[in-house]
Amino acid sequence: MTVTSTLLEKVNLQKEKLTQDAPHLDINHLVKSASRVIAPLWPIATFAARNPWMGLEGQSFEQIARWLKDSRDVDIYPCPSLIHAAQKRGEINEDFLETALKRWLDIQSIKLPRGVAERFCRAALKLDELPSTLLEALEVKVLAEKLSALKPQNLEKHPLKPLSLCLEQQSGEKVAHALDHHIIKWCKLFLDESQAAWSLPNREEGFYRAWRRLIQYDPSLSHTQRQRLKDWPQEAHTALKKALLALKIPQSEIQDYLEAHLLALPGWTGMMLWRSQQSTQESSLLTEYLAVRISMEWTLIKPHLPLLKQKDEDKCSLVPLIAAWIHWGDMTIEDWTKLSIPEQKARLTLAYRFDEIVRRRLWLEAWEQTYTDQLIEMVLSKQLVSDQKKQTLAQFAFCIDVRSEPFRRKLEKAGPFETHGMAGFFGLPIKTCELGSQHAHSSLPVILKPQYKVKESSPEFELKSYQQRRQTANSLSYTFKMMKQNLLTSLMLPEVSGPWLCLQLLARSFVPRSAGHIFRKLQEAWLRKPSTELSLDREYNLETELPIGFCEEEKVHYVRQALKMMGLTDHFAPLVVICGHESHSTNNPYAAALDCGACGGASGGFNARVLAALCNLPKVREILKTEGISIPEDTVFVAAEHITTLDELRWIYVPKLSDAAQEAFQHIQTILPKVSNDAIAERLSQLPNLGFRSKNPRAEAQRFAEDWSEVRPEWGLARNAAFIIGDRRLTQECDLDGRVFLHNYDWQKDKDGTLLSNIIAGPATVAQWINLQYYASTVAPHYYGSGNKATQTVTGGLGVMQGNASDLLAGLPWQSVVRSDQEVYHAPLRLLVVIQAPQEYVVRLLDHDPTFRQKVQNRWLRLANIDPEGYWKIWS
Amino acid sequence: MLVLLDSLPILTAFSVSLAVCVLSAFIFLHPRVPLGFIRLHLGIITLPVLIALLALITTDASTIIGPWRLDPLAWLMVLFVLTIGLVVQRYSVRYFLGDRSYRKYFALLTFTIGAASFAWLSNDLRWLVIWWGITLLGLILLISLNKEWKVARMAAIFSGRLFVFSWLALLVAIIWLSQATGHWQLSLMMAKDSLAQISSWERTGINMLLVLAVVIPAAQWPFQRWLLESVVAPTPVSAVMHAGLVNAGGIMLTRFAPLFSGDLAQIFLIILSSISILLGTGISLVQVDYKRQLVGSTIAQMGFMLIQCALNAYLAAIIHLVLHGLFKATLFLQAGSAVRRYERTSRPIQISSLLWIIVGSALGLLVVIYFWLTAPEMGYQLISALIFGCSLFFAWTQLVAFGYGLIGRIAGFFLLGGAVMVFSIIHAAFFELLHETVYQVVQPPTLVVILVMVILLSGSALGVWLTRSRSSTAFAILYLWLVRLGEPHSDLVESHPNYLAQYLYWGGNRR
Repeated sequence: MTVTSTLLEKVNLQKEKLTQDAPHLDINHLVKSASRVIAPLWPIATFAARNPWMGLEGQSFEQIARWLKDSRDVDIYPCPSLIHAAQKRGEINEDFLETALKRWLDIQSIKLPRGVAERFCRAALKLDELPSTLLEALEVKVLAEKLSALKPQNLEKHPLKPLSLCLEQQSGEKVAHALDHHIIKWCKLFLDESQAAWSLPNREEGFYRAWRRLIQYDPSLSHTQRQRLKDWPQEAHTALKKALLALKIPQSEIQDYLEAHLLALPGWTGMMLWRSQQSTQESSLLTEYLAVRISMEWTLIKPHLPLLKQKDEDKCSLVPLIAAWIHWGDMTIEDWTKLSIPEQKARLTLAYRFDEIVRRRLWLEAWEQTYTDQLIEMVLSKQLVSDQKKQTLAQFAFCIDVRSEPFRRKLEKAGPFETHGMAGFFGLPIKTCELGSQHAHSSLPVILKPQYKVKESSPEFELKSYQQRRQTANSLSYTFKMMKQNLLTSLMLPEVSGPWLCLQLLARSFVPRSAGHIFRKLQEAWLRKPSTELSLDREYNLETELPIGFCEEEKVHYVRQALKMMGLTDHFAPLVVICGHESHSTNNPYAAALDCGACGGASGGFNARVLAALCNLPKVREILKTEGISIPEDTVFVAAEHITTLDELRWIYVPKLSDAAQEAFQHIQTILPKVSNDAIAERLSQLPNLGFRSKNPRAEAQRFAEDWSEVRPEWGLARNAAFIIGDRRLTQECDLDGRVFLHNYDWQKDKDGTLLSNIIAGPATVAQWINLQYYASTVAPHYYGSGNKATQTVTGGLGVMQGNASDLLAGLPWQSVVRSDQEVYHAPLRLLVVIQAPQEYVVRLLDHDPTFRQKVQNRWLRLANIDPEGYWKIWS
Repeated sequence: MLVLLDSLPILTAFSVSLAVCVLSAFIFLHPRVPLGFIRLHLGIITLPVLIALLALITTDASTIIGPWRLDPLAWLMVLFVLTIGLVVQRYSVRYFLGDRSYRKYFALLTFTIGAASFAWLSNDLRWLVIWWGITLLGLILLISLNKEWKVARMAAIFSGRLFVFSWLALLVAIIWLSQATGHWQLSLMMAKDSLAQISSWERTGINMLLVLAVVIPAAQWPFQRWLLESVVAPTPVSAVMHAGLVNAGGIMLTRFAPLFSGDLAQIFLIILSSISILLGTGISLVQVDYKRQLVGSTIAQMGFMLIQCALNAYLAAIIHLVLHGLFKATLFLQAGSAVRRYERTSRPIQISSLLWIIVGSALGLLVVIYFWLTAPEMGYQLISALIFGCSLFFAWTQLVAFGYGLIGRIAGFFLLGGAVMVFSIIHAAFFELLHETVYQVVQPPTLVVILVMVILLSGSALGVWLTRSRSSTAFAILYLWLVRLGEPHSDLVESHPNYLAQYLYWGGNRR
């Protein structure tokens, strides 16, 4: 198989075959290599963007597209209706398509008159389907039979399919289907995070062992099937080997076989993969999973073994190729017969090569190029040239998130403010621990590992009563849950809680906004969270795995790094506002997907507060001054939170302000309502409504946040398309439509390029993941998305399934990417990274960062740069 | 003092308002009508709710007009069903926005709910059968509204078959009953001299058919599968189903009480329902999907409601079915909030907590004895007292005894006190409203009451014992059986929602 396994792997395998026999097969190693086809999946409560193809970037986007089409019948190029809709909206410039087609034809070297080839391709690019009458037509079939000697050479082998699937396709017996159902059941019972009162027996012993102990009693298998597994090996890897042997999978194909099985339920396997990375105890969870799955497969298909050899069904049957020429090439059967043999062959080759994937690829690239073109034009025409520095009253640092852009735009318009962009965790690799909570959240991008822990604390007596209030609030829902799980009390529960729930039902239904507001306020009033301090100073405590707080040098290091990253090292305004962001939504299992992705799917407020507090430390400022970053004495850092659903700025940390800072603060307070209203108005016009505008946009936004029946509380990062790394002045005058991640960068202050490579390795990668997650959830909503919100059920507290049971769904729900079942909202474009720096910088970057180079070369993202003279270069 | 309104104008107003609702639903079906019309539609469907409320407040006796019977029970049911319908439609306005079948959802919901409310007003059983049939049909159509989704289609077919079976049982029972008594009007059939005409074997036969007709919608063992598999329905449809359809049996049996009470069929019902309580609870204990847990719980709750009917505690059954309906509808509608972290800091049990627990058990025991003594001759009272005492003890333990610190205990105490107070007020209100309408004369045999007690207690004990011995083979076997019984059939599972690829492929080209 050329596509799925790397060459290296094959060489290894062959070596192994020569020197060793099956018992020594390194199965764990094979599983590890096979796991590249899936991506780890986080629990939904900390939903963070995840690139479903993260292990596959070594191959080109097109190769992966072909492989997925062949093995799972999943299309990852946009389908015709998406393309036509974009075309109708004027988002695709057809000149680009034409040029791309010519370029494609140039490299084909097919001996056909250019005009004929072009005409054929152009017609095929209309993307209409071949009429089924033509595909079924007898004459075409006869002709195809006659020409069978001319078949284009097909070098690619079919991807390997699980034997159960082959059997299902051969005999119609639903084995693969049943296998999936069995595995879904075992996975959800094992992975459950305390939703069930009775958890899976023997779960502590691990997935495979628990399964092995229980499978002998499983009534969903027949007696004979159970008997087959009676003396199954104790250990997962032996069992896996035994099953593979029983299925007679040749050693050279084992990895492919495992990959095929992993892809059957990519969500559950992704969750297994994630769990296996969490603790050493469960590190071989994926092997255990495969052992269970393939052992079950063997049990189910045993009576049918050995299967008939997987017949190489004619992948390149000539019928569609001939039909294509008849349909798009304006030919008749007679015309065909008149052609010379070489010409027939050339035509068939062209039709074969210019297949659907190529056609869609050309369209996608034209769409992407059109966007690039429009972006360039806008940025060039509106560049802010005047360099006059007005006295800025305040500087804001926002997350790079695309939702910051409209808000920043409105804010800048409202006053002499400057805004900066950097990743919303502000470079702090911390775990955060809120007051009174045992749970620590890793508040940083999932690609990084936390290194410190920062806790909230407050005086003992306040903490204690706060704890008691918190516990009481919790114990109510806990008691409810416990009563539900007890036979006798559960019978009384509806009668006791019914009236209260009814009250909530009516309130949430008829006055959703006030009801939600009141419930929130009541909760806050009851909890009365005391004001807190942060544990910024290093505490020595042997019990925790991570150090708590920072030592002196670390504080300086992180402040310096953050200021450099956001491009704020001189000309400090009296007030600097560090803004994290979070979203508000009700009854939304995907709430975390709308929060800050750089903070691991949670609010960025905590990190903002930590950074602002660090920046205010006199000691830190002193040391920074010696390094040339001098922060004036009356400059104060404060922290706020941008609530994206409401377009509000909430203060979360305001220390004692200097006079100048106080003045700036007052000014911000007076202009904020207008900024917020403008931003809301812009955003609301994008959200689907019932045909009339609310008179009070602010109240409407609150309704979106509080309404328990709202499936689109906000659009999140839908329609994201580009990532601009450069000075804000480059884009300040542009309306980027909330589609662009903005990261500050000044190449002149980055002589050795480290800053740039850090931006690329960190924030840009996070943005690429977000982008590809949206992309995947849009082009293949059934496989990479999460399906319709209305038919989801939360399972095990971990994620959602569709309907009765399904794969653990990993991506964004259908409603988050479409406006309606008929209209897609997100534009599936691969992220365009724009770097404002001279070309040498980009060349150096590509040289030094092979991962990034690979992404660019293999088209997992696109790259452009704009040099100091204002010239653009598009690298891919 | 409330002025007693005449029944006829109210009935007319009610019928007209429902007709307007149906008309408005029809108008909305037309693709040219703007989506904003839905707000007007919501306003319109509020009307019958208000009229039903007014009727409920002002009616205190039973009036029969043509095929209709207007009494507090009928109006209560109508109000309940329509309120659920209104709330769910309100919820669906945003929830389904953008759905391919947006308009059809509202039309079907309106028809289904309207038909159900007429069913509970019918005195003429021919009408009842027709309206009830329409309600069932509407629900089937609601389940299968997403026609592209194979799983939904199959679930609808499966449920549909069972519903037809249940409906036929009802039809036969009613025809039989009218043959035996010579009436079609329920109030005339249930009169003493009519009932006297029915021979005892006929009576049992009719009652068995009735039991069959009610256990299927209530998803009782062995007919629980349809409810487990209709988890594929969209959340609001599930809410309607669990709040308004499954509990139809409670109302029907209450209406047929004079016929049903004291019959052998009651024992049969008790057996089915007891098994269902154990099964339903078991399913909700082992399942990890939120909606499936709710289904398990519904099966158990409906079992309890039917047992109440079988013990002639019809009033209790009505209270239970209304409150459970509201409870379950809310839980379904907020199913999206099920992703929650339960943080529970484990603290060692202190001596003081133990003391509080002892107080709690004494309290629970006192309540049991008190309740029982208030009406020792009422068989069901014993069971009710047991469950209530047990719940009180349990809640006391969780809220007060394990309360964290003084604040926790005081707050827990007040919460508990508040809950008990509201509970008593609600029950008193229901009693006041219904005690004249609902039949409550015959007492069940003591042996039967004891049987139910034994089943409930031994079920609980078994549960406790099994949780203690989780590594035993017996537990493993029971666990796997419960999982198996709670799982859908393999044909109703699809690993990925493939119909979405079809939607995407159609784009805007197909409406």
